[in-house]
Amino acid sequence: MVQIYNDYKDHADFLTVYVREAHPTDEWQMKSNVKDDVCYAQPKNLGQRVAIANDFIKRFHYPIAFGIDDINNAAEAAYSAWPERLYIIDESGHIAYRGGMGPFHYDPDEVRAWLAARYGAVKHDPPAPASAAPVASLDSPK
Amino acid sequence: MTHIWKWTIAVFVVLLLAAFLVLCKMAGSPKDVYGMVRYAFPHMHRGTLKVGDDAPDARLVALDGSERFHIRERTGGRPLVMIFGSYT
Repeated sequence: MVQIYNDYKDHADFLTVYVREAHPTDEWQMKSNVKDDVCYAQPKNLGQRVAIANDFIKRFHYPIAFGIDDINNAAEAAYSAWPERLYIIDESGHIAYRGGMGPFHYDPDEVRAWLAARYGAVKHDPPAPASAAPVASLDSPK
Repeated sequence: MTHIWKWTIAVFVVLLLAAFLVLCKMAGSPKDVYGMVRYAFPHMHRGTLKVGDDAPDARLVALDGSERFHIRERTGGRPLVMIFGSYT
């Protein structure tokens, strides 16, 4: 999504809405969370959620505008957004794109396709060949 | 009659086992199946919003933890791409 943001930020606004944790340590923690050192309990108050969100921003140098859902999870409920979901709201305040329910139907390419249909496709150079020296990615996970 | 009941229970158990194996394949392990059923399924909702509906409003908190704003304040001039998710 960061790449899509970089490609279309001159045409559209982006807002990340931080919702309840998907794999906290005190619920369904996955092995990948331990491997990636992303270990947090489910926040019990807004302050804890804000702290985790800030950790995320700092770790990934995340550039997209951020809003945190209050601890009553109102935004998550309104958009049926847990664990992850994508939407596009058009200029008149209507839903223009409603993404599938994550994780299996979470598809940033659909967002890119919607933006490309409106503003034109943005092409990127193909990735460097395998023989090139590896470069650490600062992109946040999808 | 007893014979039919036994077959019904046997089919039910086989279906339950098959469902469990499918979930294990999806989730990765029996522990993950428990996590998925116990913690994920109750919170996953397809939802009723459709393209064309008014976008619901909600109040969000900024990263400083104190400033608040509404989703509607960010709509209007340009399309708004909303990315819902969490760190874990």
